[in-house]
Amino acid sequence: MRHLVSMLLQNEAGELARVAGLFAARGYNIESLTVAATPDVDVSRLTLVVFGDEAVIDQIVKQSAKLVDVIEIGELTAREHVERELLVVRFDAPEAAADTCLARFGARLLHRSGTQSVMEYTGNAAEVDDFLDALRQRGEIVDHARSGIAAIERPQIPAGATAQALL
Amino acid sequence: MNAQVDSVGDIRRTPSTHPLAGQSMTGADIVVQVLADEGLDVLFGYSGGAILPVYDAVFRYNADHAADDGSEPLPLIVPANEQGACFMAAGYARASGRVGAALVTSGPGATNAVTPVRDCMADSIPLVVICGQVPTKSIGTDAFQEAPISTIMGSCAKHVFLVTDASTLEATLRTAFHIARSGRPGPVVVDIPKDVQNAPLIFDGSRELPVRGYRTRLRAVESATIADTECARFIALLNRSRRPLIYAGGGIVAAGAADALRDFAHTFGIPVVTTLMGIGGFDTTDPLALNMLGMHGAAYANYAMDDCDLVLALGARFDDRVVGVPDKFAPKARAIAQIDIDPAEIGKVKAVDWHHVGSLDTSLIRLTAYGKRHGFRPDYSAWREHVTALKATHPMNFRRDGEAIQPCAVIEAINRITDGRAIISTGVGQHQMWAAQYFDFREPRHWLTSGSMGTMGFGLPAAIGAQFARRDRVVIDIDGDASIRMNIGELETVTTYGLPVKVVVLNNSGDGMVRQWQKLFFKGRFSASDKSLHKKDFVKAAQADGFEWAQRLDDPARIDATIADFLAFDGPAFLEVVIDPDAGVYPMVGPGATYAEMITGEWIASRHAPATPAEAEPTGMF
Repeated sequence: MRHLVSMLLQNEAGELARVAGLFAARGYNIESLTVAATPDVDVSRLTLVVFGDEAVIDQIVKQSAKLVDVIEIGELTAREHVERELLVVRFDAPEAAADTCLARFGARLLHRSGTQSVMEYTGNAAEVDDFLDALRQRGEIVDHARSGIAAIERPQIPAGATAQALL
Repeated sequence: MNAQVDSVGDIRRTPSTHPLAGQSMTGADIVVQVLADEGLDVLFGYSGGAILPVYDAVFRYNADHAADDGSEPLPLIVPANEQGACFMAAGYARASGRVGAALVTSGPGATNAVTPVRDCMADSIPLVVICGQVPTKSIGTDAFQEAPISTIMGSCAKHVFLVTDASTLEATLRTAFHIARSGRPGPVVVDIPKDVQNAPLIFDGSRELPVRGYRTRLRAVESATIADTECARFIALLNRSRRPLIYAGGGIVAAGAADALRDFAHTFGIPVVTTLMGIGGFDTTDPLALNMLGMHGAAYANYAMDDCDLVLALGARFDDRVVGVPDKFAPKARAIAQIDIDPAEIGKVKAVDWHHVGSLDTSLIRLTAYGKRHGFRPDYSAWREHVTALKATHPMNFRRDGEAIQPCAVIEAINRITDGRAIISTGVGQHQMWAAQYFDFREPRHWLTSGSMGTMGFGLPAAIGAQFARRDRVVIDIDGDASIRMNIGELETVTTYGLPVKVVVLNNSGDGMVRQWQKLFFKGRFSASDKSLHKKDFVKAAQADGFEWAQRLDDPARIDATIADFLAFDGPAFLEVVIDPDAGVYPMVGPGATYAEMITGEWIASRHAPATPAEAEPTGMF
């Protein structure tokens, strides 16, 4: 089962290596790992997508919580959350084919030169997969880079209130 | 580089009241001042280029603060190698309950500390290891005696600090001690580059690092009290139970909860089994004591666990040496309750029906008081009679005849004199198990053994550290011929410092525990475990290292007299005992076996049909 773990980490040299090492040493299967600064200059947010059963993930979260530099850690999988991933891709195809994909998926064109378009797309992991598939059907993907998952909790909808759709 | 008055992230912004606040000191001076402030009265370490400034600071500190009789406030004990130094600091910590400190140099000095650091992590022992490091500008250049300690120790220690900003040195070191001793104790490594040691700084006296995640979690755990509703649920579990059993581990010792445990057990009349690390947490001479359980536990302890209907796990983690096959462990237990300071241990191996994350000491006091206040007076007398009968029917025993000396006879002879009041350290293997089985312990912190890591070579340096911690106690290293060789260089450290440590080597010419397994599971193929062609004369070796009392015992008729003379000697003494090489550790619960399949051997009565051990599968548990 796929699990999404998010943690706030003290910005110390070697701390990312320590967290990654904790996972690697126990042979956990990490699909994606992103880390970036937060508004607090001392603190980074680390987001992990890892595969395993409930008991295994529970242990990972508990073991990670013991690390001195971990400020907060939580499993977002079961909670209301938003996942986004950024993709940059260099796509070789006639302009019309590229423009169709851009329009259909709401991707951005960053640069064009001849038949090569550099595009940017954001969506959840499945949507990024779909976008790449659509490109493959219409041309050649020369190169691409995915950023990995960034995720935050969505505000809980209080009981009795109506949900507001977000664009 | 001068220290900033208000470094980023430091806590304690109120002015320090330390008498030396505001004084100019180098980084090295600050290191020594913090060590002194933390209440250390001994340091262990081996010098080298990268740690010279700190060693010089220790020398000057001792010279400036010498007592009237000339004694040093911070003696720096030098071993044969750094592994010895850190095991000495660990022995000091285990025997005293305080943080042990070791000072080593960079590169090979620091990497020699890896084994003891991992050992302390595995057994939850508070240790601070200060490593010298190459200057900050040289880090990562494969400089002379450089090793990437923050990476290496990162997965071994509770925490590692690499101090690249000299202004954070003082706060970092003080925080290292805090982390080592708080929550679930553990080793902290502080890697200090040489230029940081030489940096001119201003001493503050109280600054620490925020480490807010850790402090938040620690505060929650330390202030956690058991709610009334949870106390009630716990008492209800006890009330429904007819055969409750306390399963006490190393957490009792770490928490200083021996008194609280005795009170709890006596108040409700519940018998107690302990793990290897829990030995000493409950007085072995107490009528409720059932001694050690598990792979080499007493038969009656294992049967009690098989028969109980409620397991109270107190500071114990259901380790594989105790549990074997989790599904088959405590088969008749209808409920398990667990108290631990580490939330990651709750329910890790067996699902629990009641748990509390918090201090064992305050938790047990609270539960005892709650039960008393609500008039809870259970009657477990039938169960107590049952376990007393188990003790009488399946007592520990061994071969009492024959021409060779039986190792357990030696332990019994020592125990008759020391009566549960000596500090015992061990190596790892058969001798370790015999010591665990046959010694009495009336108090905690008298049993020092490498439990989780099982590091051979632990016994001698640990005994040295323990003797520094407890000058008032007899300290005995019960060692094996193979185990003691691993750190045999430390024999000279004993005599150099005039420590009255008593060293016993139970010599069976080989790796006894390995041979026992090879006999049982590998049809007696003694691959690399037989050392009967050994050239070493242990007595000569001890004499060469300055032991004035050094003897070999090989006559069973002389056991009592020799041991009495050995223990009575006023100074370091060495006794090699030639023991029966075929002596085995019994009982034994083989890998993957249940307690019902326990092999009790020829001299301990079993209540089941004798089990035939199968040849181990290559991928089986060991």
